[in-house]
Amino acid sequence: MGKAKIKLDKDLINKVNKYAKLSGYSSTEEFITHCLEKEISELESEDSEEEIKKKLKGLGYIS
Amino acid sequence: MNQINRREFLKLSLTTGSLFVLGTPQGMVKRVFGKTETNKKIIILGFDGIDPHLLNVWMEQDKLPAFKQLRNQGGFLPLRTSIPPQSPVAWSNFISGMDPGGHAIFDFIHRDPQNYMALFSASATEEAKKTLSIGNLVLPLSGGKVRNLRKGKAFWQILEEYDIPATVFKIPSNYPPSPTKQRTISGMGTPDILGTYGIFNYYTTETGEINEDIGGGRIHEVYVIGDRVEAKLPGPVNSFNKDRPESSIDLKVYIDQINPVAKIVIQDNEFILNEGEWSDWKRVHFNMIPTQSASGICMFYLKQVRPEFKLYVTPINIDPGNAALPISTPKSYSKELEKKFGPFYTQGLPADTSALDNSVLDDGEFLYQDDLVLKERLEMFDYELSRFDSGLLFYYLSSTDQRQHMFWRLIDREHPSYDPKLAAKYGNTIENIYKVADNILDKAMKKADKDTIIMVMSDHGFTPFRYSFNLNTWLKENGYLSLINEWRQGEEILFMNTDWSKTKAYALGLNGLYINQKSRESEGIVSPGSEKENLVYEIAHKLENFKDPKTGENPLIKAFVAKDVYRGAHVDEAPDIIMGFNKGYRISWGSPLGRIPKKIIEDNTEKWSGDHCMAPGIIPGILLLNRKIKAKSPALYDLTSTILKIFNIKQPKEMIGRSIL
Repeated sequence: MGKAKIKLDKDLINKVNKYAKLSGYSSTEEFITHCLEKEISELESEDSEEEIKKKLKGLGYIS
Repeated sequence: MNQINRREFLKLSLTTGSLFVLGTPQGMVKRVFGKTETNKKIIILGFDGIDPHLLNVWMEQDKLPAFKQLRNQGGFLPLRTSIPPQSPVAWSNFISGMDPGGHAIFDFIHRDPQNYMALFSASATEEAKKTLSIGNLVLPLSGGKVRNLRKGKAFWQILEEYDIPATVFKIPSNYPPSPTKQRTISGMGTPDILGTYGIFNYYTTETGEINEDIGGGRIHEVYVIGDRVEAKLPGPVNSFNKDRPESSIDLKVYIDQINPVAKIVIQDNEFILNEGEWSDWKRVHFNMIPTQSASGICMFYLKQVRPEFKLYVTPINIDPGNAALPISTPKSYSKELEKKFGPFYTQGLPADTSALDNSVLDDGEFLYQDDLVLKERLEMFDYELSRFDSGLLFYYLSSTDQRQHMFWRLIDREHPSYDPKLAAKYGNTIENIYKVADNILDKAMKKADKDTIIMVMSDHGFTPFRYSFNLNTWLKENGYLSLINEWRQGEEILFMNTDWSKTKAYALGLNGLYINQKSRESEGIVSPGSEKENLVYEIAHKLENFKDPKTGENPLIKAFVAKDVYRGAHVDEAPDIIMGFNKGYRISWGSPLGRIPKKIIEDNTEKWSGDHCMAPGIIPGILLLNRKIKAKSPALYDLTSTILKIFNIKQPKEMIGRSIL
C-alpha cells in the first residue's frame, strides 16, 4: 500500500478520531479510507449516470 | 458480387431472357429470381404513428383522397400493435415477424440487472478489446464494433436468400443495419456522432436561459466582446486519450454592428447568416490523434442577433458521405445518396423535439427544422420510387409521429398545455402532416401497375398524454420499494437512493416493471418460483385497481405479465410486468430512469403532449391495402408473413404471424 501524508484541520482530526472509535473502526486510517472509498464510488457512479442520462435524453420520451 | 452488380446482373438476365420469349407483351414476363418465381412487387409505406381514428375522420371529410381511394380499392383496418406500443418494439415485430419474446426488444430502455443501470435497448457498442498505451495515448489494436441487439432475421434478409431485391429506407430498429446486400439505410436508433440520440448546442447571452441540465441539448453561456463571440463546439470523447477528454473545435461569430447579420467561422467553413436564417449543412472534423479524426455534419440557425445573441446548432450528424459508423448496406448506399442529394440528416429521429420542449426553438422554428428533414426525405422517396421496378420498396416517415407528439396539445382542449392562441395558428399541424403522407401515397399509387401491391401501415396510433404516472413512487407508496434516505426523495436518478435490501420491485424504461429477483438482480431479494409469481400477480392486480384520486379514472387498463403474453427464446429477458396505460396517462418523465418524485400522478405540462406508450388496445396502428384483407384483426407480425406469402416464400418456424391475404 502506498503512503501519503495529508494535512487536516485540528478540529476535524479530533472529530475523525472520535467517530472512528464510536463507529467501531479498528483505526482512524480504516475510517478515513472507508469514507474516501465511499465518496469516490459515489462520484464515479454519478459520472456514469450522467453519461447514460446524456445519451438517452435526446430520446424525447424522458427528461 | 455486390448488391448493385447483382441488380444490374438480374436486370441484364431478364432483358436477355425476354429476347427468347417472342410475342410476349412487355410487362407480362414472369420474373425469375433464383429460387422463386413471381411478377409481384410490393411498395410498403410506413407512416410512424398514423392513428386510425384521425385518418378515418379526415378521409370522411375528403381531406385525404389517396388514402380514401386505397381504402375503397382494397381495405382499411386498425392494425394490432406490440406490447408495449413503443416504436422500436413495434417495428421489430414487423421486421422479424415475432413478438418481443422472440426479437428481444422490449422497450426503448433496458437495464443491466447487475447494477440496475439503464441501457440502450437497440444497440451496444463494444470498445476495442486490444489496445496499446503509449504515454497518454490509447491506440486500439483490434477494432471496436456496434451491434444491433434485435434478434431474428429481418424480412429483407429472407428475401435476399430468394434473390428478391429490396430497398428499405430508414426503417426503425435497424441500427446498425442487419448484414445484407440489399439496399438499406438505418433510421430511428441511429446516433449522432457523440453516440447519443441527438444533442443540440445553443449559444446565448441571455443568462435566464442558462439551464445546462436540459434533455437533448447543451446550453452555452457566451459573451459578445466588441463584435465577436467565441465559443467551442463539443465533439465526441477522445477515446485515444487515457483521460478520455471531450474533443471540441473553435467557433467564432462576427456580428455586423448595424445590420442583424453575423459571419460564422468554424474550421474551413465561413458563412454569413441573417437573423432568422438557417445555414446549409457544414462539415466539421474533430481531430483525435494526428492520423485519426471524426467528421460530422451540422446546420446553424441564427435565431437572434440583438439585444441578446442566440445561435442554435443541430446535433452533429454522422456524415453520410464519410460515415464514421455503419449506417447503410451496402456501405456505399449512404454515399450514393449523399452524392446525389448532398449531406442529409442521418440521426435516427431528427426532428428536434428537445429544442422545442425547452423553448430553444419555438413552434414555427421547430416546424421549419422538421420541414428541412421532410424535404430531404421526400426527394429520396421520389428517387427510390422512380427506380423501383422489382421486389420490395419500404419507405418510412418519422414526421407523422414527431409532430403528433409535439402538437397534440393544440387539438386537445382538455390538455394542461392547451393554448387557444397557438391552436389558432398551429392547430392544423397534425392534419397537414397526414396530408403530406397522403401525397406520398398518391405518388406510389400512380407508379403502381396491376402487379404492384401497395401496403400502408403504421406502428401504433396516438392519444393524449395529460397525466404522468410515477411508477416508482407508486411502488414505494405500496411498500414494494424502499429508500435509503426518505428526505432525499425526488433528487435521485438511476435509483441512487434505493435500498435494494428492502426493495421487491422497481420500474425502468417506458413501460417496464421488474421484480428484484434473487440470482438475477445483483441485490435481489425475491426468490424465483412461487414467491416471485405471487408477487407479480399481486402487483399487477393492485396496479389495475388503482384510481387517480383527481379524475376517478384507472391510470392503468392492463398490467401485462410478460410470461403470459410473449412467445420465443427471450421471454426471460423481458420486464416482468408491462404497463398498459389508459388514455390520457403515460409513465412520467423521470420514472424511466429511476426517479422517485413525491407525487404518484402529476399533470403533464410539457409540449410533448401526445403519446402512444399506453395499452396497445387503445392505440392500434393502421393498415390499408390495394387488395382484399382477409384477416379480421391483423397484427404487425402478420404483415411479415404476408410479405413472404406474396413472394411464395415459406415462413420460418420462429415467425408467429399469418398472412392477411
